[in-house]
Amino acid sequence: MDILPYLLGGLGNGALYSLLALGFVLVYRATSVVNFAIGEFLLVGAYLTYTLSLRLPLSLALLLALPLAFLFGLLVERGFVRPLLGRNVVAVIMATIGLAAALDGGVLLVWGADLKYFPTGLPELGFGLGGLYLSSRAVWSFLLGAPTALFLLWLLQKSRYGVLVRAISESEVAALALGIPTRRLLALVWGLSGALATLAGAMVAVAGGLGPNLVLMGLKVFPVAILGGLDSVGGAVVAGLFLGVIEALSQRFLEPLLPGFTEAVPFLLVFLVLLVRPYGLFGQREIERV
Amino acid sequence: MKRREVLKTGIGVAAALGIPHIAFSQARPVKVGLLLPLTGPFAFAGQAGLEGFRDAAEYVNEVLGGIGGRRFELVVEDTGYDVAKATAAFNRIVSRERPEELLFVYGDSTGTAKALAPEVTRLGLPFSATSFSSELADPEKYPTIYVFGPTYNDMFEALLRQIRRTKGRARVALVYSNTEFGRDPIPYAKKRAPELKMEIVHEEVTPPSLTDATPIVLNLRRANPDFVLLQGYALSAEPLILRTAREQGLKASFMGTYYSAELALIQRAGPAAEGFIVTYHNPYWYDSLNQGVQELRRFRQSKGRDVSYRTTYYMGGAAAIFTIAEAMRRAAQAGKLNRAGLAEYLEKISDYTAFGLSQGYRFVNHRLPYTKLYRANVKDGRFDAITDWITLG
Repeated sequence: MDILPYLLGGLGNGALYSLLALGFVLVYRATSVVNFAIGEFLLVGAYLTYTLSLRLPLSLALLLALPLAFLFGLLVERGFVRPLLGRNVVAVIMATIGLAAALDGGVLLVWGADLKYFPTGLPELGFGLGGLYLSSRAVWSFLLGAPTALFLLWLLQKSRYGVLVRAISESEVAALALGIPTRRLLALVWGLSGALATLAGAMVAVAGGLGPNLVLMGLKVFPVAILGGLDSVGGAVVAGLFLGVIEALSQRFLEPLLPGFTEAVPFLLVFLVLLVRPYGLFGQREIERV
Repeated sequence: MKRREVLKTGIGVAAALGIPHIAFSQARPVKVGLLLPLTGPFAFAGQAGLEGFRDAAEYVNEVLGGIGGRRFELVVEDTGYDVAKATAAFNRIVSRERPEELLFVYGDSTGTAKALAPEVTRLGLPFSATSFSSELADPEKYPTIYVFGPTYNDMFEALLRQIRRTKGRARVALVYSNTEFGRDPIPYAKKRAPELKMEIVHEEVTPPSLTDATPIVLNLRRANPDFVLLQGYALSAEPLILRTAREQGLKASFMGTYYSAELALIQRAGPAAEGFIVTYHNPYWYDSLNQGVQELRRFRQSKGRDVSYRTTYYMGGAAAIFTIAEAMRRAAQAGKLNRAGLAEYLEKISDYTAFGLSQGYRFVNHRLPYTKLYRANVKDGRFDAITDWITLG
């Protein structure tokens, strides 16, 4: 019974991790680009939500921030990714590193460095059961994360768009040659990534406040995405939940023996999994014939 | 009259007439190097602090007439809260500026201060930092490093004494970030608590930023402490810990040190912040009877600047500059306006209070062992003083 609150807390936090990783995995899946600016996507999305929340209830502000964040994703694609279309993927990855620095500076210029907080919160959904308590934030993370993950899985696996995105992922040049609307689809993927990051960024910022340090949360994306398999949407969801639970259990059982160890747990897990499965738990195994 | 004499007379007349700009133009400036996190995760503190440093530096030049006829200047570098960048910025400043002009450097973190300590000692360069690390307050090892406030050990001492006053044989938990900043006072707290007849019942080490505090609070609930001391977060995790503690029904009282004493904590944590006790050693901007606050307010008003709430980082920055400038002024009067002279007069300004922004600069082992305790008042959105000055030996 002692372990149950930790499991629930871990799952709640894991749902947030999954949400954080979905936007990242989606872009990787379509373009093989590791978006190093994902932390800045979270940051911009959270600030957009904050700006709207100054005049609107938070739930409405979040709803309105999503299309704006989608537009932001489109702009990034148009400004940074499209000019490099057909080039080596490393060029795009380098561009995202530059983009991260530019966005960090941009956020400071637009919103300033002072700490901000949301004037209102999301409707309270936390509940207690016996000695257990599930926080409102954890419930919201489940409520937002589960349908989002299911929708993305359907989009990629079952819809026509998903097939086309997978075709682009296989070979961008061949997709272009076959007349697949590669540019439009990649814009869509970057736009979706922006919206997903906004959802995650806003959820984190609502609980703890908003400031430039939110960008550090982006670092959590990497162990989750790598563990699940960089190109697997389902993997990101499972890995997020798994990491959340493992961290909570480590905080309970390992921390008293090894203070500070929990911070290293995600990276240690990634290391161990990569030794056995270099493509992650659910990633696609690539076989190259030479 | 020769040309040089004419110029000298002109400078004297200009200074006497209170036209420092003209007087300054002939003399070399004195400079203070500032290494601040103007970008990165702690940009909020760096930029607010810089505003305080700049206001005070302008005040020194325009109202106090500079330093013995020389202009007081700041040389600002961004560190991004990164020790490597801060070290590079320090090297840039030290190699670029003349030693007779660059008389003081102010650094940005415990990590940076510890990294630079041997070099500033070698250079004989007076130095302080945003850090209140106990390790820096060691005049034998670092004779030119000053901590402009109580150390984190001192702050914990004040909190432990408050616990002792509130409850005999209290159960205390320590929650701190896995950083130099977080770990600094922990050995002291573990040694001191039994001496004050209290028990450390739990210790929790966390990353400096959190997405969730549930397991931490669950661990605390199991340990059932009366008091929880937070250290090493600078507002990155306290609100989440306080909110989660309230949700999970934890009954303990929470306490923190200087970097938790900012109003943003109350705004972010909401009702969960009620009763949170912090140490703080400058006045708040809303302490309108304080002379330093009044001076800064008037000065900003005269410049047409925003006089709404300024943060604790602003107050700390302004107090530091006033103090450095005063020590420089006294050194200049004694004909010793150089690094060694400034260090000598920093030791001797025990009567100075920076217009009331500090209790006084009576350094004991190069730190100022005085603080007050404040309690969060959510209804008014501010921290209220609950003690007078506590002297920490």
